[in-house]
Amino acid sequence: MDGATFFRPTQNWNGEQVRFMTAGSVDDGKSTLIGRLLLDSKVLMRDQAAGLDGDADEIDLAALTDGLEAERAQGITIDVAYRYFATPRTSFIIADSPGHEQYTRNMVTAASVSDVAVIVIDVARVEQGVLRPQTRRHAAVAALMGLNIIVAVNKMDLVGWSQDRFDEVRGAFNDVAGILNIKNIAFVPVSAKRGENVVHRGGPDWYQGPTLVELLEGAPRKQSLATAPLRLPVQVVLRDGDTRLYAGRIESGAVKPGDKVRVGPGAFAATVAHVRVGGAGVAYAEVGASVAVELSEDRDLAQGGVIADTEVRYARRVVADLCWLDENAWVPGRRYRLRQGALETQALIEEIRFVRDVSNLDNVPSSELKLNDIASVQVAARDPILADAFAELPGTGAFVLFDADTNQTAAAGMIREIVQ
Amino acid sequence: MRLAYDTERGALMSGGALETHASLAAMARLDRLEAEAVYILRELTHYARPALMFSGGKDSAVLLHLALKAFAPAKPPFALLHIDTGHNFPEVLEFRDQRAAEAGLKLVVRGVEESIRRGSVRLASETASRNAAQAVTLLEAQQEFQFDALIGGARRDEEKARAKERVFSHRDAFGAWRPRAQRPELWGLYNRHLAAGENMRIFPLSNWTEADVWAYIAREKLALPALYYTHDRDVVRRDGLLFPITEITPPRADERVERLPVRFRTVGDITCTCPVESFAANAEDVLLETLTASVSERGATRMDDRANAAAMERRKLEGYF
Ligand SMILES: Nc1nc2c(ncn2[C@@H]2O[C@H](COP(=O)(O)OP(=O)(O)O)[C@@H](O)[C@H]2O)c(=O)[nH]1
Repeated sequence: MDGATFFRPTQNWNGEQVRFMTAGSVDDGKSTLIGRLLLDSKVLMRDQAAGLDGDADEIDLAALTDGLEAERAQGITIDVAYRYFATPRTSFIIADSPGHEQYTRNMVTAASVSDVAVIVIDVARVEQGVLRPQTRRHAAVAALMGLNIIVAVNKMDLVGWSQDRFDEVRGAFNDVAGILNIKNIAFVPVSAKRGENVVHRGGPDWYQGPTLVELLEGAPRKQSLATAPLRLPVQVVLRDGDTRLYAGRIESGAVKPGDKVRVGPGAFAATVAHVRVGGAGVAYAEVGASVAVELSEDRDLAQGGVIADTEVRYARRVVADLCWLDENAWVPGRRYRLRQGALETQALIEEIRFVRDVSNLDNVPSSELKLNDIASVQVAARDPILADAFAELPGTGAFVLFDADTNQTAAAGMIREIVQ
Repeated sequence: MRLAYDTERGALMSGGALETHASLAAMARLDRLEAEAVYILRELTHYARPALMFSGGKDSAVLLHLALKAFAPAKPPFALLHIDTGHNFPEVLEFRDQRAAEAGLKLVVRGVEESIRRGSVRLASETASRNAAQAVTLLEAQQEFQFDALIGGARRDEEKARAKERVFSHRDAFGAWRPRAQRPELWGLYNRHLAAGENMRIFPLSNWTEADVWAYIAREKLALPALYYTHDRDVVRRDGLLFPITEITPPRADERVERLPVRFRTVGDITCTCPVESFAANAEDVLLETLTASVSERGATRMDDRANAAAMERRKLEGYF
């Protein structure tokens, strides 16, 4: 066999992986779109597609994303479901969150593990340039979570692929995006049901842009954090004889032997002696890598501490956006466990500054915080936490709160300002 | 994500090379998946008595390899646990024992047979599938050793019921999975907390697909039981599947035994694990076949899952993985 042309799958397996979430108002066609992505990218295996054969128009693509028995019985999706498909260049993970109004919590969860958000809008249901409240809500959450957005303007077949109607949706979305300060948005006209511009090209002459999959492959993802300041939260301290190795995942920046760092929370100066991955020495590792780092100096650094660049700052009080995830509403004075990186400490919500009404994007004064609320709050922590803004350092600018009594995950937080 | 191994140090230390590399923001999929799995495994230090489910199958071989990487040069801080149905392929058990010994980790084996003897499990027939009975034996082993966290190799791409599973899946004292009580998981800031009597199931391979697993086995040159690669075997054709003929799974009167080149895609209970026709002799071959396969892994090979579309979901509710 000709060695030069022989297909070596393991070598071709080094393409990128893109993780994206999907959101859409109920019935806008989100499930159909996911089914279409899976079907046309040929990831659907024969048995999974069983029952889907038949007239192309009759295929119930939405049934593919169907899941748990309990949910089926109730006819609703109550959670985030993950789907997998691949193109020759890229493999994808879809975090599918439901469009149901009260499930902001699920969308926040899906957004937190995604690089990009695909928002599905039924073109026929945008009237007089006004988006549906759920769509505005989805845009607001994506913006809050720092995701870039691809808008799939769906059911274009129902409006005869009218460019005017497409532009109307684009204009309406851009108005909302302006208020939310979203910068990276791409629009694509599709028919999820028939497949045009999802994986395969099709539709009108007036649109010559990329298909949805092409947009995802080349999506403006979250900016690369490789050149950002180093944040390496220490998950565990490993021992090699007398040597101590600080193991964790790089949340931003990069690390190599010889780097000057500060190790915290005391922010003591130190030097990186060696970096290992899976036991082997490496000359360089960057954001996303799980490493073990050896320091030249003996420093007081334990699980929950951080290896960071020399400019690192810590704080005990921050202003954050909080999405409340727990059925139990917030109780003033109640203590929660705060997790940032590998650190867990006690925290107190000192003040609710305002709650964001995500359907009309207003800030309203409030003294309560309940399931699905998104609020701006002031949080105080018992131990110093990294003073990182979520917009610049999403890995460590994010935190979660756990209820210390029920162990429930109570809230997702994004640091916006440092108080002290 | 980008790494430069020491061999590349020279090139890297000249500033030019660094700059060109630094503009690459590509996250090669296997590196991203490996780093994520290592991160998840290191989260396990939160628990007092964690165990890694180790059957000798390919997913558990990958898990063990990742665990060794996660804690190198130290040993992973957990035991290996196998719930033996008593219907396993001998070469898989041999591989299991050998890998456990090489890794220097304690291997705990508890058998469904023992539960049957104790009376906590009763089977409909001697040759009935024992997959369902595993849940009982698993809970018994968990109580015996007070395991508070069990690491499993399940993947979300395996079937619909798994698609919504958490990485940290919280179970009550009966090991049962309650879909409505699962906690949201954000940013990898996992909620590891347990109340007394509860335990956690952890799935570091959640985001891997079958193809990813084979690509990783090929890249890392992992050893596997020979059953995963092509070999000649006596089989019969039954319900559209190939059914292996062994001592405990004889052919039916009207069936014709054939000898075919086959490999197994999973190596569970002999009574319900079926091979597929294949000439794949190594992991790269299998990856190629996987990329062009038209029948999903469990559908092709597990009789008991096919029996009911929601079988797996029910088993999860009952406390099986
Ligand atoms: N004509 C047309 N109908 C569509 C299209 N996409 C989805 N639908 C239909 O819209 C309805 C709602 O779709 P579904 O995917 O269940 O919406 P979801 O609630 O957003 O998941 C179904 O009857 C679909 O068949 C499309 O592109 N064109």
